[in-house]
Order: sequence, then structure tokens, then C-alpha cells
Amino acid sequence: MNTKTNDKFNAKTQMSEGVCTVFLSGELDLSVAPDFRLVMEPLVGNSEVDLIVNMKDMTYIDSTGIGILLSILKARHGMEARFAVEEVPPQIQKLFDMTGIAKFFQS
Amino acid sequence: MNSDVQRVTLNLPASAEYVDIVRLNLYGIASKMGFSYEEIEDMKVAVSEACNNSVLYAYSQEGGMVEVLFQVTSESLSITVRDEGESFDSVGAVGNRSLHDKDLSEVQIGGLGFYLMEALMDEVSVTNQAGKGTEVMLTKRLARSEERV
Repeated sequence: MNTKTNDKFNAKTQMSEGVCTVFLSGELDLSVAPDFRLVMEPLVGNSEVDLIVNMKDMTYIDSTGIGILLSILKARHGMEARFAVEEVPPQIQKLFDMTGIAKFFQS
Repeated sequence: MNSDVQRVTLNLPASAEYVDIVRLNLYGIASKMGFSYEEIEDMKVAVSEACNNSVLYAYSQEGGMVEVLFQVTSESLSITVRDEGESFDSVGAVGNRSLHDKDLSEVQIGGLGFYLMEALMDEVSVTNQAGKGTEVMLTKRLARSEERV
């Protein structure tokens, strides 16, 4: 169980039946980007499981956060392992559509 | 009345921990002006990206400051983010392209910040002066339900 607690940003990891889900809450911005990288780093390399980020309780993401998601997409794509996002709030989905990262999550 | 400009100025350390303070102030001012929830969310992202650039690129040493100036009129909100950093051409350096026409293999991390500012605001201007820092001015116009005479 990999848990990172912070006043404004929080990540909880849950493992079950070949799926690893990271539940994020709060604001993912420049100031907590190192925390998010730290949570994701040990999970990205495991190609045996699907990696999912649940965004239900996220209130904000900036280009730093989107950049980290992109680098994870690239790494997972390289090892032919699944990486997806779920329960994306509308204001965050809008940024995914706008930047073009949305199409990489479709698979 | 339209020519009246009211100003609010914030001076903050050029540090990532203070960018959310800018968002909180923006929320307060923009909601007072009558912007919609979605418009405020858009402005939050754009202004944060401008601040991020100052935090990341302006200063090579700690102790630098960022000034955020809110200019409120009856028609629009302009937010100017100014630093006194090394002023390298951050727009040219990081680019401002979206990922729409790219494959994952050719995508480079970074450069989305300026793209988002331009996509989310009505006007964006960037002024770079060698040795005098960078100034990014972002403007959002208030949508009017009715024209006043």
C-alpha cells in the first residue's frame, strides 16, 4: 500500500486482480508534482498489471500534471502495458481534450 | 464608467507553493465580477501556467519574486504575471503546441502551458525584455446577457 498524504493533494494505491488503481484527490499542480512522481514511479514499470488513475476527487490539474501523465503513457506504451484514467471530472476532461492527451487514453 | 480600472496586486515568492494563493485570489475577484464557474476554472488554469513559468524559468537562484496584477473593469479581467528573472525566451524554448497531430512516440513532455493559456483566455500577450524579466498578460472578457446603453 503506497500512500502519500498532503493537505492539498492525496494519492492512495489499491491493488486487486491484475489491476492497480491510484485514487487521486485535490489539486495536482507544480508544487505536488514530485509527490505524484514518487507515488507513480514504482508502479509504472510493472507491466503485469493494468495501471489506472482514478480522478473522481481531483479538483485541479495543470500542465505539469498532464506532463507526468504523458510520460507515464509513453513508458507504458513502450512496454505494451495498459494505462488509463477513470472518473475524470468535466473541467479536467476539458483540458485533456484541449491539449490532445485524451486520445492516448482511448484504448 | 467603463474606463474605470480597479487594481489588486499580489507579490509572492517565485515558488510553487504560492501558486495556489494566486488561484484563490483569482477565484475571489472573478466570482465577485460575475464570471461563470467554467470561466473561472479556465482562468485558474491559465494564470497558474503563467505563474509556473515564472517559478520554473525566471530565476536561477532562490529569493525571486512574482508580481500578479489583477485589473478589473466592467467589461473584463486582465491578469498580469510579472517576474524580474533572466528572461530567456520561454515561449520559444518550450513551444506552444498541442498533442493533437502527434503520435505518442513523437510527443515531447512540456510546452503545453502556453498552449493552454492561449486556448483558455481571450487575449494573451507575452513581453520579454532581456535582463528585465517576463510579463504575461491574460485577459478574459465578461460575457454580457444584455448590452447596456
